[in-house]
Amino acid sequence: MFESGTILVYLAEKTGRFLPNDIRKRKTVLEWLFWQVGGLGPMAGQNHHFAIYAPEKIPYAIDRYVNETNRLYGVLDRRLADRDFLADDYSIADMAAYPWVVPYERQGQNLDDTPNLKRWFEAVRGRPATVAAFARGEPYAGRPAVTEEGKKILFGQTAANISTR
Amino acid sequence: MIRFYFHTGPNPMKVALFLEETGLPYEVIPVDTLKGEQHKPQFLAINPNAKTPAIIDTDGLGEGPVTVFDSNAILLYLADKSGKLLGRPADRGQLLSWLMFVATGLGPYSGQSVHFRRAAPEPIPYAQNRYLREAERHYKVLDAHLEARNHIVGEDYTIVDIAAWGWIDRADFVLGDGRLGEFPNIARWFATIEARPAVARARAVGKDIAFKREIDDEARRNLFPQNYLVA
Repeated sequence: MFESGTILVYLAEKTGRFLPNDIRKRKTVLEWLFWQVGGLGPMAGQNHHFAIYAPEKIPYAIDRYVNETNRLYGVLDRRLADRDFLADDYSIADMAAYPWVVPYERQGQNLDDTPNLKRWFEAVRGRPATVAAFARGEPYAGRPAVTEEGKKILFGQTAANISTR
Repeated sequence: MIRFYFHTGPNPMKVALFLEETGLPYEVIPVDTLKGEQHKPQFLAINPNAKTPAIIDTDGLGEGPVTVFDSNAILLYLADKSGKLLGRPADRGQLLSWLMFVATGLGPYSGQSVHFRRAAPEPIPYAQNRYLREAERHYKVLDAHLEARNHIVGEDYTIVDIAAWGWIDRADFVLGDGRLGEFPNIARWFATIEARPAVARARAVGKDIAFKREIDDEARRNLFPQNYLVA
């Protein structure tokens, strides 16, 4: 199976952890998980692309995605005003969103503008499992896309050149 | 009863098709996004992300109504609850994978392609090329997957076919007129879906609603609020 959202849901269903069975609680986790995979992830990704990776600086595109990231941070901040986590308890929705907030500075965002989001961010960051997970990934955090060769691989895919079966 | 917050976009149309396929009773509540109705407090209480579709399931299994936002979350919620159009349990990993493919890729990149080709105030060749190529790449991935298959997941029609249908229906708009023919497996699959009686009923949903259609300054401010932030 593929896609981070798939892996989170599948493993949560398999283990019975971080995705409740109660239909109301479960749908709340899934709403925010899909919000992340369809919104925060792709839009912050476009932010990174135009702010950091694109070969030319295009103000309209940079502004569009920096501002959309800001809007999405605002949605998170309002959601977290009266709760500790995105759903009823810590869930795969928090696990999906947190890594996309980690690079907030590169996204042109200031967490002091969104105090509830900042509080949540620090709480998730401080969890022992978060520390362990990011430590596990540290040897591989080489930021490969900043090399020209890396850019060719990441950004040169077209319908014509992707491999088919 | 499903209260269905609706506008005529690909994402609400996915939910319209699911409702017509399954016969769940529903009522349409228009949200005129070009007029900014998605930004009103009553709607934000249902979807804080200010997008359509959203639903209120008045039959929340005993404890009062359940609101759900995000088209793919709605499909999964209604399918899990009704047991319909979910495919086989053994195919759960594939169901989720391809549903996420639509949610994170086919949808968002088709949307960005349309934005830079048709809605952005200035033509930006780099962005137009980036998103057209990325939308095409998603079509190519799906087309390869549909070789020798009638449905996206397993042997049966599922919510993933419904989710993909919502976006593939806009192929002319996203890629250019007539370009669906460049992806013959998708074209064949799409024709099979189109023949389903529920599709005609889904297409009729909201036809009688007089939504604002002109993309004028008011519409742009409501659709792209991030372009109008006060410095």
